[in-house]
Amino acid sequence: MSKYWILTAILLPILGGALTPLLPFKKREQMMIYVEAVMLATSAIVIALIAHGKMSIFEVIYFVRGLSISFKIDGMTMVFAGLVSILWPLATLYAFEYMEHEGHEKIFFMFYSMTYGVTLGIAFASDMLSMYFFYELLTLVTVPLVMHTLTREAILASRKYLYYSLGGAAFALIGLVFLLSYGDTLEFTMGGVLDMAQVGDKKNLLLTIYLLAFMGFGVKAAIWPLSSWLPQAGVAPTPVTALLHAVAVVKAGVFAIIRLTYYSFGCDFLRGTWVQAVVMGLAMFSIVYGCSRAVKETHIKRRLAYSTVSNLSYIIFGATIMTPLGLVGALCHLICHAFMKICSFLCAGAIMHQTGKSYIYELNGMGRKMPVVFTCFTISAFGLMGVPGLAGFISKWNLAQAAVESGNVQAYFGIGCLLISALLTAIYMLSIVVRAFFPGRDFDYGTLQGIKDPTWKMCLPLMLFAAAIVCLGLFSSPLVGFLQDIAAGKY
Amino acid sequence: MNQSITIILAIFFPVICGAVILLMPKFRERKKLLKASGAVLVLTAVLALCVVTGGDTELTLLYLGENLKLFFRVDALGKMFAVVISIVWLLAGFYSFEYMKHEQEEKRYFGFYLMVYGILLALCFAGNLITFYMFYELMTLSSVPLVLHSRTKEAIMAGLKYLFYSLCGAYLVLLGIYFLSRYTTTLDFLPGGTLDMTLAAGHEELLLTVAFLMILGFGVKAGMFPMHAWLPTAHPVAPAPASAVLSGLIVKAGVLGIIRAVYYIIGADFLKGTWVQTAWLTLTLITVFMGSMLAYREKAMKKRLAYSTVSQASYILFGLALLQPDAMTGSLLHVVFHAFIKSCLFLCAGAIIYKTGKTNVDEMRGIGKEMPVTIWCYTFASMALIGIPPASGFISKWYLATGSLKTGISVFSWLGPVVLLVSALLTAGYLLPVTIHGFLPGADYDYASLKKSEPVKMMVVPLIVLACLAVLLGVFPNPLTSYVSEIIGTLM
Repeated sequence: MSKYWILTAILLPILGGALTPLLPFKKREQMMIYVEAVMLATSAIVIALIAHGKMSIFEVIYFVRGLSISFKIDGMTMVFAGLVSILWPLATLYAFEYMEHEGHEKIFFMFYSMTYGVTLGIAFASDMLSMYFFYELLTLVTVPLVMHTLTREAILASRKYLYYSLGGAAFALIGLVFLLSYGDTLEFTMGGVLDMAQVGDKKNLLLTIYLLAFMGFGVKAAIWPLSSWLPQAGVAPTPVTALLHAVAVVKAGVFAIIRLTYYSFGCDFLRGTWVQAVVMGLAMFSIVYGCSRAVKETHIKRRLAYSTVSNLSYIIFGATIMTPLGLVGALCHLICHAFMKICSFLCAGAIMHQTGKSYIYELNGMGRKMPVVFTCFTISAFGLMGVPGLAGFISKWNLAQAAVESGNVQAYFGIGCLLISALLTAIYMLSIVVRAFFPGRDFDYGTLQGIKDPTWKMCLPLMLFAAAIVCLGLFSSPLVGFLQDIAAGKY
Repeated sequence: MNQSITIILAIFFPVICGAVILLMPKFRERKKLLKASGAVLVLTAVLALCVVTGGDTELTLLYLGENLKLFFRVDALGKMFAVVISIVWLLAGFYSFEYMKHEQEEKRYFGFYLMVYGILLALCFAGNLITFYMFYELMTLSSVPLVLHSRTKEAIMAGLKYLFYSLCGAYLVLLGIYFLSRYTTTLDFLPGGTLDMTLAAGHEELLLTVAFLMILGFGVKAGMFPMHAWLPTAHPVAPAPASAVLSGLIVKAGVLGIIRAVYYIIGADFLKGTWVQTAWLTLTLITVFMGSMLAYREKAMKKRLAYSTVSQASYILFGLALLQPDAMTGSLLHVVFHAFIKSCLFLCAGAIIYKTGKTNVDEMRGIGKEMPVTIWCYTFASMALIGIPPASGFISKWYLATGSLKTGISVFSWLGPVVLLVSALLTAGYLLPVTIHGFLPGADYDYASLKKSEPVKMMVVPLIVLACLAVLLGVFPNPLTSYVSEIIGTLM
């Protein structure tokens, strides 16, 4: 397969998106078909590329020796690009119905599809510099999406998002510079690229730099104490919160952390040092912090956003175990969480769209009026809790196995954090479910008159995601086997 | 029929039927609902019976992941639990046909009632820890609607309390499973344990801690101190037949979990004489005493019975904690006896509520004159629970006490029987007043206002059957005792 297909996959949604406001659509339907076609075509190309398998490095722009924008396909690419290519067309379908009343649709879909291209750029990037380039771009194209409603709240949120992300990227750049001078190459290589002869006695310096870069990328991954932008960014329309703030943008941060840890500094260099203790400790704290805040929160989207904070740190915790099994656990949760969280976010969006209610105490008795939405929500809630037979159990199993196997006592306590978090997850998710299905004896269903499930455009993605949660939970062997191959460096 | 198909049917048939009943609006009609649920109940019981009478079999259903096998194995212990569960489930089911008339939303009740039945059977036949854990958690989730059925504020809060305590326990268990999967040869249940001693060498402290956490975790469901507080809140708010199965059977799921983890995975020898055993014994004895004491002080009938469950379930756990064959015989016998006795008592309490609306023990003066059959059943079951020979409770407590004396563990070997005796006295103290004041209301009782209010046969027959079982199993204990000793022979 030609290497230029990678370029097509990245540029198609960017250019296609940019054209959206310029094309003279007569009807809304035409625009919908056009946007969906662009998304589907991109996804088809991406999936074909992944199916084709590993691809070696491919330079697009050459700056100077060692610095270029280049792409390749390896195991990590397959996971991340594959994931977003499945989610994006479905979330777009959902967005068509959701955005009907939000206004400025053309602008919205322009940036929505451009984000797709940029996210793919991060996935396909073959070295630190290329990834950094797309990482910055991602911030810039997603700011308009957060700002979409143009309320004061939205503008404040997007400003915060911008400052946090740009600040984080600056720290990441420091890491890039040091890698350039102490490593053999910038290209991502399993096991790291540091040149030990050059490092010599500067080990502590490099560990500090790793910590800085980790925190830099950690901004997007919403690690404590850099997580406060994420719940605030929940003011964005739900398709944005669901897809970008539960999957694409935040997982780009996690993806970058994994690239940094496993493919640049190398986990052999980091394992057992003080830096590992620090980053793992941060992840453990974020896990519990996110959940506790979620329990306190009464706005449904902000509650889910805090839940994302916690779950992203599950992934980071897996990554900071710094063993191949840890990577398997991290990637497994990266995938499983994507499906579970997008499903629950889209349900929350459907509730807000159909009823205009956005606080949890307003949801009494709605389970009976919107059975499809709340059934999907319940499945995703059980999944997040880690009920066996659903996706969350599998990923937590892999994370915990990695922690036990590593023999690292801190990781043992990490398992404890995972379980405390599972309990808190049960509290903040199931209290919604119970409220919706069991509103109390004297509840008057008359107050909910006229509320019903949304149309198929919203329900179909929900049901597909819920089905995916069950399937991943029941038949995980192929996926986990594939992830093990990646961690073993086979891809 | 092929044994493995029967197992799958026995588990999934009631679950699927329950879901169908929940989803189909046409079951709002009472007659259809009762017909359908009755048929499913009986059919499932027959299927369960087929599995039990068939030989020991194994069945691998599917692999959730590489080491995560869904695996069923029918063994002697599972069969015993399955039979007890089926008997009580069937009787309480028929009882609820009448009882649930005065509650709303029967459709939901029967839907979940059937689902929990299938899941409990799956627990009995689970062949490894993963499968067990999976259905254990499903059991919690599907039994919550039974607890909060009445949907009063109190019931919903009780349901949530039940949920969070149970999940807390389940996660402690999960923590244990994570570690055990590393240090055992397999997570399949094998009599005597599967700990890999070469891997475990040097990690004994870790494994002991893990074992203790698992015991605590399963102990939540069995109402063991310090995680017992949910039980007296959650059991009484449920409709009476649901409280009966919650107290009689679902509590036993925790016991089964502990038996499986301690005797089939970790191994009794590994725990013998360690701090885990000491701590475990201490907790159970505290629970036995505390439960009885609280029951004695409680005035609300169903709540009193719930505290009694706290105490009685820890009799069972005490026997298990002794890690001694005779004591364990006592435990397994008490599992069976207590299931029949406690469900009988709860159903009696339900019958009283159903006919007279009385919930407090103080109001029940002369109740024996109004509903003599019910109170006679209550009395026989009480005598069995107290342990008056020849009723069943005597046999199990005898084994528990002799087993305890034989262990030779310092202090506990004599302290155990003493606590059991004191608790038995308290049991008499909190159960018998209902009988005494019921039949002998005193000279100033107004016989003119007395009206017979015996419930219909649909409710009385289950009571009689359960009361008979509670007494007769004590008179003819030998078949059961020899069956139980055979199981224990493979373990120790």
